[in-house]
Amino acid sequence: MSFMQPSPVKYACSCGILNPINKLFFCRHCPKLRCGFCVCHEIESHFCSNCLENIPSSEARHKKNCCANCFDCPCCQHTLSARATTVPVVRKTEEPKEGESGAAEVTAAPSPKPSAMPTTKKMYYLSCLSCRWTTRDVGIPDQGVATGTWPDKECLYQVRFNTLMEYYQTVVLQEKQEKQEFLRRKAPKQHKFPSLTDRTGLTVSLIRRQIGWTEKSMPKPKTVHITSAEASADVEPLSADIFTQPLNLRNITTIAQRHSQPADQPTAVSRLYPQRRSLWIKRSLRCRQCEHNLIKPEYHPTSIKYRIQLFARCHVPEVVMVRCEQPLQAGQSNAILLKFTNPTMYDMTISLLDAPPPDAEVNADAFQQACRIKEEAITSSPLLKSSGVTLARQNSTREVKREVKEVTNATIVPLESEFVLNQRDDSKEFDEDVQAPIEEPKFIVWRKGNKVLLRLQFSPAAELQPGNNVTLGFCMQYTYVNTVSNTPDKEPTTHALYSRIFIHAGDIVN
Amino acid sequence: MPLYESVMQEKPPIVLDIGNAYTKLGFAAEAYPRMIIPTELVLTTTGETKQLFDYTQTDQLYDQLVDFLQTIFFKHLLVSPKERKFVLVENVCGQSVIRETLARALFMHFDVSSVLFVSSHLTALSTLAVSTGLVVDIGYSETTVMPVFSGVQIMSAFKDHSYGSCAVHAEIKRQLLATGVKESLLSEQVLEDIKLRTCFVTTLERAQAKINEQPQQPPPSVDYAICDDDAVIQIPGTLRESVYEILFEQNNERDSLPHLILRAILDCSRDVRRALVESIFVIGGGSMVQGLLARLKAELQLLLENDNYYAAHFHGELQFKFYSCIGKQNFTAWLGGALCGATDLIQSRSLSKEAYLRHEHVPDWSNLCDNYRLNGN
Repeated sequence: MSFMQPSPVKYACSCGILNPINKLFFCRHCPKLRCGFCVCHEIESHFCSNCLENIPSSEARHKKNCCANCFDCPCCQHTLSARATTVPVVRKTEEPKEGESGAAEVTAAPSPKPSAMPTTKKMYYLSCLSCRWTTRDVGIPDQGVATGTWPDKECLYQVRFNTLMEYYQTVVLQEKQEKQEFLRRKAPKQHKFPSLTDRTGLTVSLIRRQIGWTEKSMPKPKTVHITSAEASADVEPLSADIFTQPLNLRNITTIAQRHSQPADQPTAVSRLYPQRRSLWIKRSLRCRQCEHNLIKPEYHPTSIKYRIQLFARCHVPEVVMVRCEQPLQAGQSNAILLKFTNPTMYDMTISLLDAPPPDAEVNADAFQQACRIKEEAITSSPLLKSSGVTLARQNSTREVKREVKEVTNATIVPLESEFVLNQRDDSKEFDEDVQAPIEEPKFIVWRKGNKVLLRLQFSPAAELQPGNNVTLGFCMQYTYVNTVSNTPDKEPTTHALYSRIFIHAGDIVN
Repeated sequence: MPLYESVMQEKPPIVLDIGNAYTKLGFAAEAYPRMIIPTELVLTTTGETKQLFDYTQTDQLYDQLVDFLQTIFFKHLLVSPKERKFVLVENVCGQSVIRETLARALFMHFDVSSVLFVSSHLTALSTLAVSTGLVVDIGYSETTVMPVFSGVQIMSAFKDHSYGSCAVHAEIKRQLLATGVKESLLSEQVLEDIKLRTCFVTTLERAQAKINEQPQQPPPSVDYAICDDDAVIQIPGTLRESVYEILFEQNNERDSLPHLILRAILDCSRDVRRALVESIFVIGGGSMVQGLLARLKAELQLLLENDNYYAAHFHGELQFKFYSCIGKQNFTAWLGGALCGATDLIQSRSLSKEAYLRHEHVPDWSNLCDNYRLNGN
């Protein structure tokens, strides 16, 4: 598989987008191909990519998705590392007692006997190993502990923002209450007996007063007064030195540096501040149709394995383009060599067609229907329906399915018969004995283990110009043995599935 | 207790302000955006970087928006968009195709529970706790002027022109090319960096002296190193002080920034004009340059005194007054959205998923169908 260059072989996903097989997933329950666009992404866990600490999602939200211990350089966005220095501490033999003797003694007479052994103390500062920025550059004092005590920069207008927020919340709440009150008055309650005094509410308050109860009234929300901002005619003038002083670009921050500190966006380099490193996430993917997990990573940040992995390349035969037999020429018949690999533990029967079988779509839908019937039985109880609660997750299949956009401009000659692709058997790779040659269809060039090299004849369209890209398209029908099944008997079921495959064979030669 | 909290606590709404150059993103009830990122995306097919709103077909825009939002949710905000509430800060005169496609991507692809569209000009004023003001938004591709009186936008007096940061970049490029700098060196990032770190708006006296051919001592030139190419170019002092002159250029169209502001005020009715003159609020990333407000004020006062048209229409002693924003100008509109998302408005005024799916359409003030429906009920 070529990782560095785009693959010429593309599979059509069930949503109609073309992708190479290593970007596709295979839902065993549907069973269909899925791509990153048509699955539901979910957040599995948060972790810090630097210290690899797992952070629970509630804590991550509380910490604003930042790691508590790691910092980024405000200059180059690299990770900062803590550096230790030793600072000599002059320890006095007799510590002046604070409070009693007071500060006057300390200033007046420093302890007469300086200690013979100056002790040292470890102090830490943060330093960037990439651009040599340190916290000392901006005057942050060294800390006694490496992590945890670095001060956060306070947002300057936080108090004002909180006042504003409180004010608007009260205003909106007040409006809502007034509206409700208005609606209540407008539509009086239907009583059995009509009463003229209902609308005024006079009787109620009279009776209440006679009994000696307190006045019934809505608790008035307290009004919050806010001082509005004042517009002023004095605007900050341009400083006169800008016309005379030379500009030192090293002292002015770039746009990336400013945006990495969105709250204050300093213009001077001396006001940059170490930024807490933002967390990373592990994602799990879920099929939108059947809500089953396609990818579920292991929880621990240090592990790169998966608990559930339904990559298409573990389930769908992989097609690799080897070469074209002759240079591509418009209208001239040619042949392409394709290598098929079976990644599953079951034999596959493969046939190549030039158009999808008409009933293929129906079959898949019928399968899905069967899957859903069971779920329906649970969720369709009348009680749940009436209360508006649905147990099943909300399906989001509203996304419009799109047509495959790729246009083929070559006609292929379908293979005369289907062929069998043997199961994957890792131990077979090391077998010495050569199999007895068996009768093979003519188009098979070579076969070993779970791999088959075959020759497919095609001819590019006659109207193609030199330099045009030749795209082959065919439909691969394969048998797939599904080991998970929704039927009560746990027998593996065999499906005939198909995928549409498009191959960029190359350009027409001059 | 943490479990209880996490279950019971309402998830904070996501506030997005997708600008032409930079996107501000964060959560409601927070005092500053989590991040400010360039509005561009990396195409998965070819790996090239592309501007979000650079598209030919609506389908293409939809795919790009989905990709862009995907990176916002899973790379920057780290929350699942499913069943979440959103506040979108939008330009009232923005393209409806973008608005519709954005809503479709959010509701159809990401399954969000509700979206609240707020107007950027109106919501920016809310950060001041005032209800009247003339909001001037200097953005990347355009400058817009919207008078707001008592919390109502005066749409008939809305003014805009296409001079924003983008035009300033083009001007820097033009002047540098004239001095003989190779064009290949001047990428958009380099131009932006030059603008940000070296340029400023000069004073009115110097600008007029220049027009009257009385050359003044230019500010010192700067040697600028382009890090990708190991090249050093000289940025002349005249360039540093003159690139922003395009905002104040005098021409017969009378559509420079001060003219735009004065015309917007004149288009309002008489009794609100004085209030607007005394409450100008300049926001947007383009307004963060040094000396802009001082120059704007001087220009406005000058026009009021010397220009016959304005002298005839404005009466009395007028003093232009400016608000200064909390936070920074480039996320003021976002901040207003964050305030709005913290209130109960997010429950009552949002476009819910059910309402959207009924018509697959976002109600719009300019659409007569929506207005009709509103009046009918």
